[in-house]
Amino acid sequence: MEKAPSLKPGEVNLGVTNRVTDKLTQIHDRIFCCRSGSAADTQAIADIVHYYLQVFTVQEGQPPTVEVAANMFQRLVYDNKDQLMAGIIIGGWDAVNGPSVYSIPLGGSLHRRPFAIGGSGSSYIYGYCDATYKEGMSREECIAFTKNAVSLAMSRDGSSGGTIRLAIITKDKVERVFVPGNELPVFYEG
Amino acid sequence: MEAFASTAPVRVPLEHRFSPYTDNGGTTLAVAGSDFCVIAADTRQSEGYNINTRYSPKLYPLSNGSVLAIGGMQADASTLAKRVEQRLEWYQFKHDKPMNTQAVAHMVSTMLYGKRFFPYFAWVTIGGMDENGNGCVFSFDPVGTIEKHLWQCSGSSSKLIQPFLDSQMGHKHELLPPGELTAQRATLLVKDGFTSATERDIYTGDFLEIYTITRDGRTRELIELKRD
Amino acid sequence: MTLAEPLPTGGFSFDNVARNAMLAARGAKPPKATSTGTTIVGVIFKDGVVLGADTRATAGPIVADKNCEKIHYLAPNMYCCGAGTAADTEFTTALISSKLELHSLQTGRQSRVVTAMTMLKQMLFRYQGHIGAALVLGGYDVNGPQLYTIAPHGSTDKLPFVTMGSGSLAAMAVFEAKWRANMTRDEAVAIVNDAIEAGIFNDLGSGSNVDVCVITKDNVEYLRNYNRPNERGVKEQSYRFPRGTTTVMSRKVINFVDVIEGDAMDVTA
Repeated sequence: MEKAPSLKPGEVNLGVTNRVTDKLTQIHDRIFCCRSGSAADTQAIADIVHYYLQVFTVQEGQPPTVEVAANMFQRLVYDNKDQLMAGIIIGGWDAVNGPSVYSIPLGGSLHRRPFAIGGSGSSYIYGYCDATYKEGMSREECIAFTKNAVSLAMSRDGSSGGTIRLAIITKDKVERVFVPGNELPVFYEG
Repeated sequence: MEAFASTAPVRVPLEHRFSPYTDNGGTTLAVAGSDFCVIAADTRQSEGYNINTRYSPKLYPLSNGSVLAIGGMQADASTLAKRVEQRLEWYQFKHDKPMNTQAVAHMVSTMLYGKRFFPYFAWVTIGGMDENGNGCVFSFDPVGTIEKHLWQCSGSSSKLIQPFLDSQMGHKHELLPPGELTAQRATLLVKDGFTSATERDIYTGDFLEIYTITRDGRTRELIELKRD
Repeated sequence: MTLAEPLPTGGFSFDNVARNAMLAARGAKPPKATSTGTTIVGVIFKDGVVLGADTRATAGPIVADKNCEKIHYLAPNMYCCGAGTAADTEFTTALISSKLELHSLQTGRQSRVVTAMTMLKQMLFRYQGHIGAALVLGGYDVNGPQLYTIAPHGSTDKLPFVTMGSGSLAAMAVFEAKWRANMTRDEAVAIVNDAIEAGIFNDLGSGSNVDVCVITKDNVEYLRNYNRPNERGVKEQSYRFPRGTTTVMSRKVINFVDVIEGDAMDVTA
């Protein structure tokens, strides 16, 4: 399963191809993560971070930043790297940094990025993403960029397919978008 | 270098090789009486937990009147049966008479041994009438070992049915064994053997095909077995 | 006071792990556990959830039990189908059932399906797949009917219709063809029956009968052997050996006790 989150000032956009289950997981009001690798491992990690963030919110009396969440993920993935198969992308909005995207690949390193891709199909879309991404894209441009990237990955990667799910996270709300299989952006299919 | 020597298990890349064999399951059975031969097999053809087909005969009626029963790998079984039938045809042309059952048995033995170093994955049983009009049964392992039997069961349910036959046809533990085995009683035992095996062996089921061979010829019967 | 025997602490014993690893290295084969090559399913309908299971247990190619129970009790409002290693599904569900009961008593509330799901996934994740339990969890709580699958490594899925076990593909084919949203109870039971039958007839690891469990608000119908499509046929003949079949080689009687006739027991009212 691949994810192609992208970022622009004011919003964060996460996408996942999917057949049935939702691999876009909400871990706080304005923070989501994309899970790739072992479902068991990433679910367990997401559940733990979800719990940590609830405790954090109560103790600090304010919502956590995306950076805090990303660091919690990194700690778990890095400390247990020899037991885990987990590639995670974290995205969200907070009052300190606005919208932000972080990527934690297999080894447990942490990278803040304007956009991040991951999962088995992501290797097919590095070219597209690098060529297409522009700083300061609008909300609609970001949605199109994400949908296109995921659709392209799906059509080349044998282990991906089905539908696309998006989460558009802004200061005021989280919007969930579902793109059914017959409404995916279509490219060259020769 | 010595400092790095370790007895810890080392992971090496696993090499996956093509396997030319597969077991398609199923059970074959043959009984030789004084004036008949009953030979039977279920018709389920499976691979792992899947049923490929519910009717794939493991019995091959031969042109000389005998019946070949082959379990193991279906592709090898049909190839072997085809080659046997071709040899019977050549024999007929050359000698203007059908090959007798013992001769077929010994021929099959040499054909199997001929592939000693790339054997057919086939458990073969032959049932028919001998030169004196008595029923006879021969069985083989995949490389051609030949054995003559009064009753014989091989395949996935062999361990379930053979002891039952030993008890009900051998009567070795009984003080007063009943009279001679008839074709009718043999058929009843074959049916009960297969319906019981179907209860406990996942690879046996769907249909039971039975050939009864007598001096007058061959008859075929098809009975339903459970399909689960 | 010190106890001569220390009290058991609970949990698994790993005493023999090193020994078994040594034996395995020398080529010893570990004993094979009974597995439930299985078809188990679940579906949510208008006012509840229906669980289904076949009843065959296998040990390799042999049918170990023709009519075993694969729908386990978890709580009064929750049941759980198990596939995989029979002992693991049995003990895992029993353990969580016990924890749920205590939790329910402690809190004075009815157990929730998410609670059971979380307990199960956390336990299975802790054991990293060594507990071979693949589960379909269904129940009805304050949030309405819910259905989950839990895989041996601890991952979970929340869906309106699910299948698991070796017959899961056969059963899912039926669901994909016939499932509709907001079915009635009878429609849901029928589709579950068809899905399990598909497993019974098309998967060699599944067989025998259909068990069904319907869970609705404040009610559970456990329909053991809801459908028996595989009755054994009548045998051609009887196999009772006639009296005197077995040879008596010799006969010897030893009286270890002397039976003395006493007064008749008083049996008057």
